[in-house]
Amino acid sequence: MQNPSPNVEPDLQADTLRRAAIDRSVKGPVLFLLTNGAFWLMASTVLGLLAAIKSFAPDFLGHASFLTYGRLQPAHINALVYGWGFQAALGVMLWLMARRSGQELRTGKSLMMVAAFFWNITVTIGIGCILFGGNTSLEWLEMPAFTWPVLLFCFMVFAWPMVSMFARSHRPEGFMISSWYLFGACLWFPWLFSTANICLHWLPSLGVIGAGINAWYVHGVILLFFVPVGVGAAYYFIPKITGQPIASAQLAKTGFWLLAILGGWTGMQRFMGGPLPAWMVAIGAMTGVLLLIPVLVVGLNHHLTTLGKHNLVAVSPTLRFVFVGSIFYPIAGIILALISSFWTGFTFQFTHAWYGYQIIAVYGFFSMVAFGAIYYIVPRLSGCEWLSVRLIRNHFWFSVYGIGIVVVTSVVAGLQQGGDLTAPERWDQSWISVVLNARPYLIARAVAWAMITWSNVWFLLHLMLMVAGLGRRSSAPTLLERHDDHSDPHLTHGAKA
Amino acid sequence: MSAPSYNPDTTDIDRIHSAVKREKDDVAAGQGPAPMWIMFIGMVVAIVAGGQLGPMAGGFSFETSNPFALAKAIDTRPGGGGEGAAMDPFQLAMKKGASAYGVCMGCHQAAGTGVPGTFPPLAGSDWVHGGTERIIRVVLNGLAGPLTINGAPFSNPAGMPAQGALSNKDIAAVITYIRNSWGNEGTMVTEEMVAAIRKKEAARTTQWTMAELEPFAKQNAPGEIPAGPGATAAPAAEAAAPTK
Repeated sequence: MQNPSPNVEPDLQADTLRRAAIDRSVKGPVLFLLTNGAFWLMASTVLGLLAAIKSFAPDFLGHASFLTYGRLQPAHINALVYGWGFQAALGVMLWLMARRSGQELRTGKSLMMVAAFFWNITVTIGIGCILFGGNTSLEWLEMPAFTWPVLLFCFMVFAWPMVSMFARSHRPEGFMISSWYLFGACLWFPWLFSTANICLHWLPSLGVIGAGINAWYVHGVILLFFVPVGVGAAYYFIPKITGQPIASAQLAKTGFWLLAILGGWTGMQRFMGGPLPAWMVAIGAMTGVLLLIPVLVVGLNHHLTTLGKHNLVAVSPTLRFVFVGSIFYPIAGIILALISSFWTGFTFQFTHAWYGYQIIAVYGFFSMVAFGAIYYIVPRLSGCEWLSVRLIRNHFWFSVYGIGIVVVTSVVAGLQQGGDLTAPERWDQSWISVVLNARPYLIARAVAWAMITWSNVWFLLHLMLMVAGLGRRSSAPTLLERHDDHSDPHLTHGAKA
Repeated sequence: MSAPSYNPDTTDIDRIHSAVKREKDDVAAGQGPAPMWIMFIGMVVAIVAGGQLGPMAGGFSFETSNPFALAKAIDTRPGGGGEGAAMDPFQLAMKKGASAYGVCMGCHQAAGTGVPGTFPPLAGSDWVHGGTERIIRVVLNGLAGPLTINGAPFSNPAGMPAQGALSNKDIAAVITYIRNSWGNEGTMVTEEMVAAIRKKEAARTTQWTMAELEPFAKQNAPGEIPAGPGATAAPAAEAAAPTK
């Protein structure tokens, strides 16, 4: 793969076979995770649509208790995070880590299948409990307490082989940035998940700090799990598709270490003005703003790597999704800074903007990058090419517009709500008028989730056909635009560095 | 997921590996220095971020949730132990009374004029600048039934609601305020006076009537009248009614 003399034919052949063998070794677990993840994504978007409709039309679909907003919304977020997010992340991580470390997955494959199976069973039971009233009322930890040891164990079954692959990997290019991000995600999530769960479920009478720990956990999972996986994948796929080296190793290292240092300090600013020790809130607010630095550094590096190859964004499905995800990333960073700093946070606090931040981080950024990765990985595992350009286009545009609408309307609704509630000259308004003023935004949110649901129907169908081996039998990739050979991102000739 | 038993396509090694074969090489990242301007932007961000931490951390104590505790700012609120504590008691009562008067303003109006026939005026009313005991009782327990004030009849179905939920301090301040506004002049009413009356009438749950209060019309509540501008402007009423 890192062959300095590409004209030596036997070496190339051996290298191709080696990479194909790596792909084969992870095929089962990766395809299982990605397919099940796509089913959960479908469930999550439908739940998101129902929750959005319920938030402005509570009588919709009658008065069954499991269809109330208070149960649909956490079910929607948990399906998005644990059903889709973690499974897509683990699938993409496993493939990437195997490829980047140049090693086949030798042992533990059947244990991985069992773990992936149990992960799905546990999430199903957990979300069922949420819908039927067993909500723990802890944000992003709404599933009952018995689920977390199972989920943690399943995660470790995947994380451990990845960590050992990382430890054994051959590093011909020095600092392998995407491997470092994935390695970090493998270590950070168990720390976050066990700390939050032990504190919140096992330590009695935590009092107000429990809310702070909960907010810290949500920020931590976004910043120290979804962000590293998304950024790590983007650092792999952007150079891979454009054929250009990562613009700056220095920026890559800076961005990684700053995220590693800062990511775990933020969260408690969610309760600014509340009864937490002031320094915890202040450090959270500071870190929320300071995280703009690694975000901008990564954004700049990706921009410089793509520079001059923007025509490929139109052509390659992978690069198109990853590129848009990489644009959503700095926007997510800016929204985090806005809801974190004391100057703007008091307006955005406890408004719809918080939902907008969760969605742009988990869907706008992470999921878009994961889609790009899936469009790249699955043909290599299933041995066939994506069937239809039109399905990919549908998936792309409805996702981008849907997510854009959810995020923009949530942030603007938050600005309006917060502005109304904090404006001294509007002291005489009633609470219900503020709630009712958010209605147009909630209707727009429902429309957006309908669009996203539509996009996911096609994504799920397309993925299922691919996994079933019913893709196109061809040696040519499925590209979004016809083009001459010079711009073909997937042909190696003329692009060897 | 598995391929059919015989498919000439899937045995074609070129096609199976075509996706792998067309991959581009991994290349080492650029080793050039990062652009200088990103460092300046980083510094600006760091300064803004420091602004969140520096003045807002409350001295890094687990004991305080007040972000401004470190600044040890003087509490300028009246009676807050800062600048306001040094304020003349009469001025302080007038200031606090003016804000507490928001409760009364709905009926008695901003200028204390009341509404003819319904809500009695405070400006120029002998109920206000007369003896202090009657007005304290009215504020504490309210007043019901038809009234005649300054010769004019007043009545409304609910009467005046009791304001006993206010603290003694606030009631003292607001009575001092109405006794010294809109042309009224009267002695200060202190917290202790209100407390004494409240204690005496602790069992009372109903509003007063005009007839019940008649005995207290000229009486002043027990307690020392503090010296000060308000006290020196002794009105005619005080001269007429001996203390106690």
